[in-house]
Amino acid sequence: MLSRRDFVRGGVALVTIGSGAQSLLKVAVAFAAQNPADAVPDNGKILVLVQMAGGNDGLNTLVPVGDPTYHAVRKRIGFEDEAVLPLEAGFGLAPQLTGLKGLWDEGRLALVRGVGYPNQNYSHFKSMAIWQAGDPELKLQDGWLGRTLDTMEAEAHDPFQGFNIGGSTPPELRGEKVAVPSVQNPVEYGFQVGGKVGDGSDGRTATLMKLYEQYPASSPYGVLLETTVESAVSSAQALKAAGARYRPAVTYPSTSFGSGLSVLAEAIVADLGMRVGHITLGGFDTHAREVDDHARLMTELDQGLTAFYRDLAAHGKAENALVLTWSEFGRRVEENANEGTDHGAASVMFALGGGVQKGLYGDQPSLARLVDNGNLAFTTDFRRVYATVIERWLGVPSAPLLGKAWEQIPFIRAA
Amino acid sequence: MDSRQPPAIRGRLLGRRTSRRTLLAGSAAVAAAGTTAAVLGLEYAGSGGGVGPVVAAEAPGKANISLPATIDLRAPIADARTRAAHLLRRAGFGGTAEEIDEFAQLSREEAADRLLDFAGVDNSALEGRLAKAGLVLGDAAGDARGPARLITDMQRRWLMRMAYTARPLEERMTLIWHGLLTSQVSKIGPLRARLMVTQNELFRHMALARYDDLVKAVSKDPAMLIYLDTVESAKEHPNENYARELMELFTMGVGNYTEQDVRESARAFTGWRITPPERPKVDPNTLTPEEKRKLQQEVFANYRPTFVMAQRQHDGGQKAFLGQTGAFNGDDIVDIIMRQPATGRFVTRRLFSELANDSPEPATLDRLVAVWDDSGHDVRAVVRAILTSDEFYSQASYRAFVRSPVEFAVHAVRALEIETDFRFYPRYGPLMEQVLFEPPSVAGWPGGAAWLSSSTFFARLNYVDAFLSAAGRGRATAIPALSRASTPTAAIDRALATLVDDDVSVGARQALYEYASRLPAGEQAAGIAYLVLASPEYQLI
Repeated sequence: MLSRRDFVRGGVALVTIGSGAQSLLKVAVAFAAQNPADAVPDNGKILVLVQMAGGNDGLNTLVPVGDPTYHAVRKRIGFEDEAVLPLEAGFGLAPQLTGLKGLWDEGRLALVRGVGYPNQNYSHFKSMAIWQAGDPELKLQDGWLGRTLDTMEAEAHDPFQGFNIGGSTPPELRGEKVAVPSVQNPVEYGFQVGGKVGDGSDGRTATLMKLYEQYPASSPYGVLLETTVESAVSSAQALKAAGARYRPAVTYPSTSFGSGLSVLAEAIVADLGMRVGHITLGGFDTHAREVDDHARLMTELDQGLTAFYRDLAAHGKAENALVLTWSEFGRRVEENANEGTDHGAASVMFALGGGVQKGLYGDQPSLARLVDNGNLAFTTDFRRVYATVIERWLGVPSAPLLGKAWEQIPFIRAA
Repeated sequence: MDSRQPPAIRGRLLGRRTSRRTLLAGSAAVAAAGTTAAVLGLEYAGSGGGVGPVVAAEAPGKANISLPATIDLRAPIADARTRAAHLLRRAGFGGTAEEIDEFAQLSREEAADRLLDFAGVDNSALEGRLAKAGLVLGDAAGDARGPARLITDMQRRWLMRMAYTARPLEERMTLIWHGLLTSQVSKIGPLRARLMVTQNELFRHMALARYDDLVKAVSKDPAMLIYLDTVESAKEHPNENYARELMELFTMGVGNYTEQDVRESARAFTGWRITPPERPKVDPNTLTPEEKRKLQQEVFANYRPTFVMAQRQHDGGQKAFLGQTGAFNGDDIVDIIMRQPATGRFVTRRLFSELANDSPEPATLDRLVAVWDDSGHDVRAVVRAILTSDEFYSQASYRAFVRSPVEFAVHAVRALEIETDFRFYPRYGPLMEQVLFEPPSVAGWPGGAAWLSSSTFFARLNYVDAFLSAAGRGRATAIPALSRASTPTAAIDRALATLVDDDVSVGARQALYEYASRLPAGEQAAGIAYLVLASPEYQLI
């Protein structure tokens, strides 16, 4: 039995999937291992991407301790030097990041400073699109991780090769070949019959599958509808089975971010074949009253990521998983009148995991030499971070995916 | 949101106009030329400018699959009933069998005008129904059920409006404005949630207004003033949030103004405030926490703020904005923006994308921009031009979108003539990814293919399951439009005709017949309704 993807990859003859008596259910769970020779083999490494949506204030995340300019421009929202958690060389973490500070001390955390791109766009949506595509010109198709997944070898369990926590597929995971399941709430993830969880074996669900089989692929949204149903049915089955093989070793924070991370941990611990996971923590657009809101977000991030790392470590999986955070931009250096900050430029990224080489990477932008009316000048192109992760971590050549070869950053330990 | 633009063209090709078989067959040939998408994208881009037939590419050199060589996107929707149903779905929330028959008799202009001329249409049946529904609007903020309940009641009340209104275009435009000139109730806060209803009433009241007037009104709308931080913006440190989104998302689109324009126009909106709530007559410090909470709710229950200008916080100085200089205030800024050619292109394109399809032909857009200019930015005139255009009634617009969850839920109720107060929607709305009054960001709902993921697929199905079976909360939902049919076959024919234009494959119809024939009589209507609402065709609009 062959899946659609195998035909796409192999470019083999025309066979209509889902025709005749063959049910979609059967097709979806049976992926044959027919990979073309140029697919990149699975090195077992997993990337979990955390989007900090809204524009995270990098200066109040990784704080330049003792910088008089910082205190001068952030009289009301700045942290006192004594309050931050010292790392090294004049930098400290926001006071809420106690768990991450512990992981720093254990050598599991790296930060990349001054990350951005030329001609910073100050629109949330445009800048997100740039980061998601991995291309400030927005000429590369699909998402940077979608393109990466497309080059990877697919295993028999690949419905979870890419996996998103949330309602809709994030743009960075969109690709040509790999359909990425999205799970918002595992309890609701499956067919319900008469208000109760079904197993897909009832006559109504079977008839529904026939309706999708019969829908001509040449009709509007034929590809999208087919891949969505295929991915939903197969991933729901796999996730249900995984539930039996996983018990969290820690207590996750009772936030949607916390519970989402536990679902990602489940996919990793139960060996669902996940290579790239994605989760979002939103609310970073702190135009006003930043002190409270940012503290709450830092706490949520810290508790979630720390629990996630500890859980994976307890299951012996921390060496294989890398967490990477990103945000569409940082914030204006000087606080505004509402004790908040407006849209800014360069910001900071976290890399967390057993494979991380502890340290501060990338130069810190100067607070004295600002650009674009009060913004940090970026020092480190975000594509250098992407290239590092794609190549050093996931083991995939990065230049074809990013349009050129970017100098890598040694925050991942050599294998 | 920018993702609506160039990527949308490609998304539509991959999502809508490219067959799976095309991708498969094409992969070998295409390997030499770049990605499949690139080839298709070129093909489509090359068809711009209104020359030659617009076709979706089909890979060359393959035999033995019975697909048409091309899909002519310019071909008209042939069947009169399908045209009527398409119009009723797009300009409203779908029609009953009778409404579709009725509209099928009308010319394009008559049909559009019947929907547009809603001001005189009696809507008292709806108002009566809402009054009886027992849903609160935030007026009873002291209600023991708490603010969370108020927010879900607000949503249910609006869904009922959409389902039972006699003025469908009025509600459709209200939803369009909510998605475009958006605010999120989470930022407004539970105590002031009623302000979102005020905003909603503004959108309904100005559904087809001059766009200049609508934007000026929404700039002073209390929920918007709070949502984009205008109420916090002061002379000393202007807050740029509103100024930026006004230009980027509401009027011109990114790339038509500079960062300097953002900063200068932000100054013009400084000092824009709302009246504060009444001061409580008792000193809150003398109260217990419980009493304090009650007092707070009482104070906000009747809070109806209005726009005020705080002169001392306003920057009355000279501003250089989009090439002009003056002591502009916010209204002046809106006036300048409205005169920009970019604004006409942006707004007409957006309206076309809401109502017809998201990659209009340049010639269509040019005509709409001319209507915008000639009418003095009259939304009514632009909407009429869209709803009577060839492209609206062409294959390029037919099933061109994935249905939003609200369209998904409301059309079913209208078409099947179901009585409901949408009590199941609040639970499933977040899973389907559409919560009214709470779009995911200031850009509204991304829409399009983004509505459909494995997660939202299950959520849609499970919403229908819960709704039809009433999921343990009382008797199963009655489905009058199907119960009237004398046989299961007749019920299926009726459901397919009303919900999906009778446009399904023979095999799908056969599968439905077989399934329904095995069901006990009492379960047939619900079984049929579930399957048609869960079908691939019904996911599209």
